[in-house]
Amino acid sequence: MISFDGVTKTYKAGSNDQVVALRDVTVQIDRGEFVFVVGPSGSGKSTFMKLLTREVRPDAGTIHVAGKNLGELRRWKLPALRRDIGYVFQDFKLLPNKTVSENIAFALEVIGMPGGVIAKRVPEVLDLVALSDKADAMPHELSGGQQQRVSVARAFVNQPPILLADEPTGNLDPQTSIGIMKLLDRINRTNTTVVMATHDQHIVDSMRKRVVELSEGQLVRDQARGVYGYAS
Amino acid sequence: MRRWSYILNEAAIGLRRNLSMTIAVILSVTVSLSLLGASILLRQQVDAATDDWTGKIEVSIYLCDGLSCPPITDSQQQALRDNLEANPLVDQVFFESKQEAYAAFQRQFANEPVFLDNVEEQTLPASFRVKLTDPERFDAIKTQYEKSPGVESIVDQKELLDEFLAFSGVIRWSAGIIAAIAMVAAAVLVGNTVRMAAFARRDQTQIMKLVGASSWYVRLPFVLEGVLAGLLGAAIAWGMLVFGVDWMFTNLQGSLTFVPFLTTTQIMGVWPWLAVPAVAMTAGASVVALWGFLDV
Repeated sequence: MISFDGVTKTYKAGSNDQVVALRDVTVQIDRGEFVFVVGPSGSGKSTFMKLLTREVRPDAGTIHVAGKNLGELRRWKLPALRRDIGYVFQDFKLLPNKTVSENIAFALEVIGMPGGVIAKRVPEVLDLVALSDKADAMPHELSGGQQQRVSVARAFVNQPPILLADEPTGNLDPQTSIGIMKLLDRINRTNTTVVMATHDQHIVDSMRKRVVELSEGQLVRDQARGVYGYAS
Repeated sequence: MRRWSYILNEAAIGLRRNLSMTIAVILSVTVSLSLLGASILLRQQVDAATDDWTGKIEVSIYLCDGLSCPPITDSQQQALRDNLEANPLVDQVFFESKQEAYAAFQRQFANEPVFLDNVEEQTLPASFRVKLTDPERFDAIKTQYEKSPGVESIVDQKELLDEFLAFSGVIRWSAGIIAAIAMVAAAVLVGNTVRMAAFARRDQTQIMKLVGASSWYVRLPFVLEGVLAGLLGAAIAWGMLVFGVDWMFTNLQGSLTFVPFLTTTQIMGVWPWLAVPAVAMTAGASVVALWGFLDV
């Protein structure tokens, strides 16, 4: 489903300096897996996620996502790639002037989904995230946890085979975070590949899923049913 | 259908939210297109007048009346008339007496008492008005009759018309050049406004990109925002031209009866010449401004 093969990405910092965000990373993620990408800030987690949606392109190496070689993908085919990927942000990124159901419907509207499909899928996904009673609420009327559930619903409403979550619990308290993790776990059981970047030790330890650890841009650990802190 | 309602709705939101910039865009488009329209209408007016006048162009052979040369005798005048009528280059010959010349002058400058007060009946010479079979052959007539006894001077009205055309050409080009400069300013303003609108809604466009909306779907509301403002500016410019020019022509028609002015319908026909440049300019400026900015 996802494969990195010798991927290196550097950013320019100033005129001469370069910062290496990822160095020769090779990793394979199969369909239906749940993978934590862990590591401290600046370890390359965000770059890893951005490479998957081709928001940034690697300097070396090849990346395959959902059967597509991202290096060879023409720009006009990017929307097709991104329709295969749901994306959950740390700061939710809900549109403040739209209701909960409008926010979710927006993701389908802008890819030209027919109105009938939208009318059917939005209530379904609201039911999945247990927010059916908040369909007409505005985002600012919701708690942080509820907002993040809306964000997950928006990412999943198109039923993509891949769901990316970049620090989805970063702005939430531990109790609320557990609710989000249960939701992601449930989505994962529909055979959706879930990749979650995090540095929340408790969550990683309690889920016992595969852990890919990055440190200064290098892959230092890839462990099935891993925990956060202990490099094997 | 749903797509278009989204795109139009977003464009309208952008225009409202950014009202002061929208007004600036509309006004700058209005100014530039008013100049462009004025230039085009002036050209049409001059063409219409030229067509009308070309058929009426005459060569005036002014006759001596004793002021600058000895007055023409009756027999000289008759000989000149016979000669002209026999000339194959000449289509028609009319005689205009001093009295007729004065009457025509009074009619033409009825609203200019200063002229009338300073011109007496005796001032204006009598003339033969000669219509040529080929208006270009003026030189032949001139050399043929210049030295004839009793002829004071020969004037080709076509030369006057040419001077008028050159003068109107200068005005037209000046208006056109100023219009072009104003268009560039308007285009820059459109580009900036559209960029600001896109920046103000970057959260929304970021989400659109990540859920897989196409580049054009993300861009179109912003492009349309610029185009709508441009069309509005064109419409205002058009309204100003139709009312302003029509009013001006109606007033001028009273004193300049010999000029065939454009009709209201003809003036209204300038719309596509405003709308097409407005759409092209604003769409172009918007697309350039968003180049790379909203790539997915």
